[in-house]
Amino acid sequence: MTAPTPRGERPTVRTLVPLPALTAVVSVAAVAGAVAAAPASVRAPLAWGGALAAVVLVAAVFWAVRAAQSARLARRALDTAAQDAGRHLQERDRLLREAQRERQHLIDELARQRAEFTAVLADEQARLEGAGATERDRLAGENARLARELERATRARDAAVSATANAAGRMQALTTAMLADLRAMEERHTDEEVLADLLHLDHRTAQAGRLADSVAVLTGSRSGRRWARPIAMESILRGAMGRISAYRRVRVHATSETAVAGHAAEGVMHALAELLDNAANFSPPTSEVHVYVEEVPAGVIVSVEDSGLVMGEVQLRRAEQAVSGDISELGGLTGTRLGLAVVGRLSGKYGLKVSFRPSARGGTGVLMLIPQEVLTAAAAASAQPAGPPPKDDDRAGRRTAPAEPAPSAAAPEEAARAAHPGTPDGSDGDTAEHPVAGLPKRRRGRTLAAAERARGTARTPETREPAGAEEVKVRAARFGSFRQAVRAAGADHAAAPDEQRGPDHAAPTEHAAPAGRAAHRPAAEGAGDTPAAPADPQPHPYAHPEGDTTS
Amino acid sequence: MSRPGRDDSPDRLYTLTGGRTGTGPDNPFDLVTLVVAESEPAPGMQSEHAAILRLAVLPTAVVELAAELRLPVSIVKVLLCDLLAAGRVSARHPQKAAVYDPDILEQVLVGLRNL
Repeated sequence: MTAPTPRGERPTVRTLVPLPALTAVVSVAAVAGAVAAAPASVRAPLAWGGALAAVVLVAAVFWAVRAAQSARLARRALDTAAQDAGRHLQERDRLLREAQRERQHLIDELARQRAEFTAVLADEQARLEGAGATERDRLAGENARLARELERATRARDAAVSATANAAGRMQALTTAMLADLRAMEERHTDEEVLADLLHLDHRTAQAGRLADSVAVLTGSRSGRRWARPIAMESILRGAMGRISAYRRVRVHATSETAVAGHAAEGVMHALAELLDNAANFSPPTSEVHVYVEEVPAGVIVSVEDSGLVMGEVQLRRAEQAVSGDISELGGLTGTRLGLAVVGRLSGKYGLKVSFRPSARGGTGVLMLIPQEVLTAAAAASAQPAGPPPKDDDRAGRRTAPAEPAPSAAAPEEAARAAHPGTPDGSDGDTAEHPVAGLPKRRRGRTLAAAERARGTARTPETREPAGAEEVKVRAARFGSFRQAVRAAGADHAAAPDEQRGPDHAAPTEHAAPAGRAAHRPAAEGAGDTPAAPADPQPHPYAHPEGDTTS
Repeated sequence: MSRPGRDDSPDRLYTLTGGRTGTGPDNPFDLVTLVVAESEPAPGMQSEHAAILRLAVLPTAVVELAAELRLPVSIVKVLLCDLLAAGRVSARHPQKAAVYDPDILEQVLVGLRNL
């Protein structure tokens, strides 16, 4: 950096002019003098030479002055520059020192702060560790307390569930016994009003039994009853209907011949009852609930359709979830909504699949698939007590009985034992109905049929009036043999002839009167086994046994 | 009265009749009314109805039907009323005063006195 040239040091015309001007003046004067002094002949060249010399002199002087001035100015600028350089050097040293000092200061500061932070951090860490340990201890204590509490709660829950299950089991037993009692009473009392009351009680008891079953299922114990034999689908449906209050509104459309295996029958009935109850409760009290049974390769589908409220998506999903069997806990149960949870439990147990969908009837439809595993063939269902097929077998057995060889000695006694406890209305007919080989049996309806036919051909009783003397004799002979048989039987069987099953009672006891039996058997069989002989004009003496019992 | 295993059907009686027990005053059935089936059992029928139709192919008394079905007579009467209303059975009262030969009646009388 060059220092600015001072104003007075610039070589100006003013400083350059005076000395050359003086030189010019002196030179002019000298030349003029020389010219004036010199002869005229040399004056002109001398003038010209002198003028030229003067001009050169002036120019030289001017150049010299100017050079001297420039040298002076340059020296001065050099001095200024040297001074600036020194100043700048000093400045740089100063700045360097300052920077060094500053750096040192910062380093010190950093170290100090680091130490400070380290200390704070250590403190904080220690404090947090302490707090953490305290907290951990507290949480461990809390955890232990909660664990104890949970254990206590679990024990309490188990105890409660077990007590509930126990109570439910006892209620189930009571209900079952009560239903059996009611059934027995229903068979004893023939008065319609009494029967209506008994049926009412029966219905109420069945509903109570369902509730007890529900509680039992939810507490993990078993359903109320075990059936030893397969239960026909019709009975399953009716058993389910009988356990709900609004069973009169249920319409069953079923032709299925399948049966549900005994071990699963109660569960299926119970689940169906819950579904029916739901359907009946959530539909108008005047509408009907329709039940359809359909056999599919996977089993049997029972669909329950109501025309009540349509379930929304959310409700459908919730219901599906409730019956999917996923819910293993009792949480979320409310006292009034046990049904679906029960269905879920039973579904899980017996492999039932339950699904909900909107029904074409306007309400909700429930499909329950009973899997093939718990179904049995229809033939097994024929063990149903009220079912006629066994009776047909019995009848066949009896029909062939007389053709068999003479019965062993034990058979009549057995028959006697079997026949005696039988109540007149045949309600205890389990044993009495059993085919007993070799004994003459009255076939239901046969004699009546013969009588009907006889009447059909004879039209009026009057035509029978003129019976031949031969016929009268035959009848008398029959009666005589009958009387003989009765006498042989002893006094306690004196009433036997009044009994419509007289031969049944009398025959086993009349060991010594084969003739009586022989006389009777053709009589009994003659009317029964020859239905193809409608021309028989003679009404059998036993043709109207019922007619005599009316009073 | 309580016999375990006696109640061996899940059907409750009221489900057989839809809760009805009485059959009304014009009910033609009493214990000895003879019932004759007028048709074969149809598929889809209540099994008791079908059983009655099978049993009553030949004239059968109400009390016998009840015994065979092991149901109380009142219940059977309700079932029979249903069938009668549907025209599947016909009912007839047995002839009460069946006229017998006086000889036989006399001999019966003598026999009874001799007992």
